[in-house]
Amino acid sequence: MKRRLPFSIGLLSSGMVAFQLVLMQILSISQWNHFAYMIISVAMLGFGASGTILSFLKKYLTGMKEKSLPGLMLLTSVSIMGILFMAGPVFGGFDAYLVFYEKKNLWNLAFSYFILFIPFLTGATAIGLSYIIYAKEIGKLYFADLTGSAAGGLLMLFLFWHFSPSTLPCVIACLPLAAGLLLWSGKAKVPIAAMGIMAVILIITGFFNPPVLPVSQYKNLSRTLLLPGALVEEKTDSPYGELKRVRAPGLRYAPGLSLTYSGTVPVREVLFNNGNWFGPLVPFDTTATEHFLDYSTYALPFVLDKPGTVLVVDAGSGLLASHALTHGAGKIIAIEPNRAAVEMLYRNMTVPGKQLRFIPALSRNYLLTGDQYDLILLPEIGSFGGNSGIRALEEQYLFTRESFSQMWKKLSSRGMIAATVWMDHPPRNSLKMLATMVQAAASGDVTDPRDHIAAVRSWSTITFILKKSSITKEDIRKIREFCFFCQFDPLLYPGITREERENFNILQDDSFFSAIDCILGPEQETLYREYDFQIRPATDAKPFFSQFLRLDRMSKMKEVFGASSVPFLEVGYLILLVTLAQITLAAFLFIILPLVFKKVPGRKRTFPLVFFAAIGTGYMFTEIILIRQFTLYLGHPLYAASAVLSGMLFFSGAGAALSGRLITNRKRFATLAVCIVLMLAILAPGLPFLLRTGTSVSLIIKLILCMVVIAPLAFLMGMMFPSGIRSLALHHEGGLIPWAWAINGSFSVISTALATVIAVEAGYPAVMWIAAATYLIAGICTRSRHFSIFVT
Amino acid sequence: MNILSRITGFILLFLLWPAVRPAMSQDYARMRNDMMRDQIISRGITHRSTLQAMRKVERHLFVDKSLRSRAYDDNPLPIGYGQTISQPFIVAYMTSLIDPRAGDKILEIGTGSGYQAAVLAHITDSVYTIEIVKELGQSATKRLEELGYNNIRVIIGDGYYGLPGQAPFDAIVVTAAAEHIPPPLIEQLREGGKMVIPVGSQFMVQNLILVEKKKGRITTRNMMPVRFVPFTRKENPKD
Repeated sequence: MKRRLPFSIGLLSSGMVAFQLVLMQILSISQWNHFAYMIISVAMLGFGASGTILSFLKKYLTGMKEKSLPGLMLLTSVSIMGILFMAGPVFGGFDAYLVFYEKKNLWNLAFSYFILFIPFLTGATAIGLSYIIYAKEIGKLYFADLTGSAAGGLLMLFLFWHFSPSTLPCVIACLPLAAGLLLWSGKAKVPIAAMGIMAVILIITGFFNPPVLPVSQYKNLSRTLLLPGALVEEKTDSPYGELKRVRAPGLRYAPGLSLTYSGTVPVREVLFNNGNWFGPLVPFDTTATEHFLDYSTYALPFVLDKPGTVLVVDAGSGLLASHALTHGAGKIIAIEPNRAAVEMLYRNMTVPGKQLRFIPALSRNYLLTGDQYDLILLPEIGSFGGNSGIRALEEQYLFTRESFSQMWKKLSSRGMIAATVWMDHPPRNSLKMLATMVQAAASGDVTDPRDHIAAVRSWSTITFILKKSSITKEDIRKIREFCFFCQFDPLLYPGITREERENFNILQDDSFFSAIDCILGPEQETLYREYDFQIRPATDAKPFFSQFLRLDRMSKMKEVFGASSVPFLEVGYLILLVTLAQITLAAFLFIILPLVFKKVPGRKRTFPLVFFAAIGTGYMFTEIILIRQFTLYLGHPLYAASAVLSGMLFFSGAGAALSGRLITNRKRFATLAVCIVLMLAILAPGLPFLLRTGTSVSLIIKLILCMVVIAPLAFLMGMMFPSGIRSLALHHEGGLIPWAWAINGSFSVISTALATVIAVEAGYPAVMWIAAATYLIAGICTRSRHFSIFVT
Repeated sequence: MNILSRITGFILLFLLWPAVRPAMSQDYARMRNDMMRDQIISRGITHRSTLQAMRKVERHLFVDKSLRSRAYDDNPLPIGYGQTISQPFIVAYMTSLIDPRAGDKILEIGTGSGYQAAVLAHITDSVYTIEIVKELGQSATKRLEELGYNNIRVIIGDGYYGLPGQAPFDAIVVTAAAEHIPPPLIEQLREGGKMVIPVGSQFMVQNLILVEKKKGRITTRNMMPVRFVPFTRKENPKD
């Protein structure tokens, strides 16, 4: 084996991981972030299908390895650039919303899927080919592959701050280009040189003339830019996304404004992140005594009290902070995880530092600091007219039962938590928010939560208050007065009557009020069980506040809304289910089916094939769940993804590199599987506990702890695949290797989406238990005679 | 079939094309009838003038040629610039909610394709419609002129301020959902007037808010489309 080959493989792998991350970012801008799953599955499908290609073309490609290996790497570089230049049809040829309406969009989506699949197919074929040719040294190659992938993830953390999504593919395409050229021995000068030159030309052209990335016409930003005089004033790229500051004379934002308001709404500038609404820029005026939000339900906490210290969590562009400032709060801490947004805010706004401070951090982590607050303001929940499950699969740790309990502890004796929810129909967000508040109050040793919760309702929003002390008669008088003045309706306070709830804003029936009363009464559990949407409070183990869809109620949904309307009720989770079905079918069509036409060599092949299916599933399940669980601990999905991916890949790579020395017989192989099962079985219940106890330490310590958890597990897991391959190499001239590669790839593809479905339905620990079960199955499979001898 | 007979077939089809076209118009008429029966009447719309107007307006002329075959489907359809022509039922329901009568002066915010304005124009004497996207406003103006709607005035501008010069209005239809109802529009609503505003994304099943102004008191009524029935409880609609 050439010494340069591991370097080449490392460069190629880093390019492929980096390209996945860029594609996720581009699709988040062009469409919506649901497509992150599509990219993972496309990439994994590329790996799976490469196994199929190798099983057919093994002899041909190995025979001309001097040309095929560098050629495939250069082709990866060229195809990455090809995708960039085809950005229009690839990223803008379909529209997420229209996919359910127009067949044309569905075909265009399939076209994009196919085009995006090409670089992963060529890259993975190069990697798989090197495994076959140099099967004896797979440990080193696998190490290079995994550490390269880890480096690719880390590299992107740097590149996202310095390059726009349209120029990033040019930077990334240099990696497979370098990999190919490094490996080129000078043979096949014309085709290799032609591909190399083509890649260089495309990279230079793309870098200096980046194509304009298409953006869905239905995104907030696209529609805002249609307003007369709309201009993008500023743009910043960061790992958090593409942030734009847009100015337009017609831009106004006053959520759920009272119909009695006759003043002006002073919004002219708005921030958009990845084309989605992020928040309006409203002046931080210390001299103003009135705010337009005083004419909205957001004003409720200020009607009841004049809070001295205010914590605004997930503060966005600071709208709620500006409101608190107008009410004379002496100390306002605004926590916003998007650092780029905080920086943009400080660049463009005058922030009165004495009273107001923005801190870039994860709100949930900030709640661990020692301060106490008179008011904790939560960001608005849902969106105007319902969020249609757009955020269904996003972990929202801020809205879990545990988070509310934490907030409750941070309240001063007069403190309140305030949350404003957009009304949706049928009601979901509001009921879940109330259910969460009731549980938080109960966990705070409150005798009767009803005495601590108040809410008012406008034509479009509801603001809930959870008060540390009991709601007093004076509070009720103030609420009634406020509601009458703004023509809102009181929804909740101790002793509220049915008649009081509907003076100005009439609902179609009483079911909403009945559900509200059920949540506060003994029939709470019955309601959770019988309601057609998931309204039970979210937990840290299932932190999907915006996931309301219940699979067991799908047939009723179809009956009530009509089959064609169901996708638009809770689109987020359905997209994941559709993706799962689609990738399962694609894995079968592109990976399994072609191999059916090729005879599987040898007899009793079931065990080795089940082995590779099991470790593919188990590895992906573990990886995805670790990323999700470390998100809360490390403070941001980005840190979690980078740390877990890099850690998993690096230590798995180390395990792979040493597997040749350590796994030399079947007994050791089986012991390895048992060790992994035991570790996963300990982590399933133990990890949440571990992460809860170590939350108050610094980020560096947290990262170290993260690595301490990941390292032994990933090290052992990394040995499984290469050990299995080394063993198969001795049977039927390695004829089972492409099959193993393909089966492993297929199950990894399916597991990416399946892990999330299981997490939504059963919680994170369940996914970890299933991962343990798959490694147990793999352990049993090591009894197969295929794993009796190992190449050393 | 040999090549000669195929060619003859194509020639005949080409020659008979003008005769085939009226058959397609009849198809649209049939589709419109189906739409009325299956989407509008069956869901409980009984407002007579709304039904008459919806029967008359040729919806397929308000969408792109490539989408004409789907113009009467139970869906919104894209018209470009991030806008849609609303689902037929939503148009019928919004129209019936404001209960327009001959002689009424109606303001529409968000012209889009002009379809809602055309439906209203069959019932009332004057319809003012404001569109903020210049291109959409221009194409709607042209379309409505060509179709002979001379009681519709399309204004290209910011609907937020309404039309103070033409106020008060008997009814206001806001077709573009907004997270707040502009105060100037409330002011321009006649005493006893009605305003209807959709809530929800254009691609979701929308529900509607009816705003009424009576004796200085402004009330809203959440008017869920009939296909929304209360969940977990028996149907118990209010008047």
